[in-house]
Formats: sequence, C-alpha cells, structure tokens
Amino acid sequence: MAVFEWLRFLAGAGLLLFGLGIFAIEMFGVFRFRYVLNRMHAAAMGDTLGIGFSLIGLILINSFNFTSLKLFFVVVFLWFSSPVSSHLIARLEVTTDEEPEKHYRRMTLRQVEEDLAQKHSAEEAAAGLNEKKSDTVGEES
Amino acid sequence: MGKGIPGLEQTCHAFFVAALILLAVMVVLCLIRAIIGPRIADRIVAVNMMGTIVMVIIAILAVMLQEGYLADICLIYAMISFLAVIVLTKVYMGVYLEKKQEEEKNDGSV
Repeated sequence: MAVFEWLRFLAGAGLLLFGLGIFAIEMFGVFRFRYVLNRMHAAAMGDTLGIGFSLIGLILINSFNFTSLKLFFVVVFLWFSSPVSSHLIARLEVTTDEEPEKHYRRMTLRQVEEDLAQKHSAEEAAAGLNEKKSDTVGEES
Repeated sequence: MGKGIPGLEQTCHAFFVAALILLAVMVVLCLIRAIIGPRIADRIVAVNMMGTIVMVIIAILAVMLQEGYLADICLIYAMISFLAVIVLTKVYMGVYLEKKQEEEKNDGSV
C-alpha cells in the first residue's frame, strides 16, 4: 500500500511542478513582451494551464474527497472567467489607447490576403531567379 | 497525507514548503510588474495574475494543513478577483469616455 501512496504523491508532485514551471514561463513572458496586448497572452496562459495543472496535482496528492471537489470547481470557474476578464482588459486597452499606431496596426482580412499574395508572388519570382543563377544563395526578403 | 508511511509525510511537507516559497517569489515579481507597468491595463493584468498565484498558494495550504475550509476561501477568492477585474475595467472605461466627451464639448464651445 505504501508503494501506491508514494506513486500517487510522485504523480501529483510532478503535475504541481509542471504547473509551477508554467507560472515561471508566464512571469518570463510578462517581463519580456513589450506591449500589454502581448503580455496578456502570457498572463492568460498561467491563468488556465498553470492553475489547471497545479490544482490537478493537488487533487491527486489529496485523496478524492470533498476538498478535491472544491478545488476542481475552482479550476472550472477559472476556465470560464479568465477569457472573459482577458476580453474586458483587451477592450479597455483598445478603447483608452491614445496613440494606437505606435503599438499595433489595424488591418482587414482582405489586406492580409493581398499582402500574403504579394509576398508569395515575390518569393516565387525570387525562387525563379535563384534557379537561373544557381550560384547565389537565397537571401531573406 | 501519508500518515504512518515512513518518510512520506516529511517529503510532502518539504515539497509543499518549497513550492510555497517559489510562489511567494512569483507574487513579488507580479507586484513589481504592477508597479512598473506603464499602462492601466498592465496593472490590471498583473493584479489578475497575482490573484491566480495566491489562489494556488491557498489551495496548497488547504492540502498541506488538511483544512477543508481553505478550499472554500479559494473559490470565493476566485470569484472576488474576477469581480474586481470587471469592476475596474468598467469604471475606468466609463471615467475615460466621460472625460473624453467633456473635452470634445469644451473644444466645440471654444
């Protein structure tokens, strides 16, 4: 029986450590990115994946009883509430940004498609040139 | 956890204490982010992250001390931090839009 207890503890500890690692990556991303809408991506990852793995590890370490059920409810609630709060924060940022062209640019789907088509044709032309002059190595456009 | 099994109780306790120390360091880092964050949204994101990490701390304490009611506190904490984000964003956006409208009115009259 003791072996099973040890195994359960090790599995739970591994999951908890994985969750803590996700939190560490989250902190790294939050300090590394340059703008709020980028940082929010890292923060939301910790909100869902980090707390999910940590609390599932804790549920494994704790045996299956009423406390574990409550911890599971915490995870379910966070998975519902975290996207909503992220959406609200993003809307706040977009509404109150005084100089948006410094931070990001707005584009429609058609513009993106045109850009991609242009890039594609340019790449094809460059590839054709490279095939003709086989001595030059393709440079990044 | 691990009563009657030699070594497991001490290992469990040591592991939980190490995880708590790590999470405490992360809370301090979040606080630094909330202080230096140049925009309001930065600060709200940092406070939200802090709430998440504190939730994990409370859950670890609930399992470590074998106190079931701490899980209830964790659930309530999740709800209150969600409510705090909603209220902060709504209030700040309302104040901002009101100020902007007033400025526009002043520009039109002068």
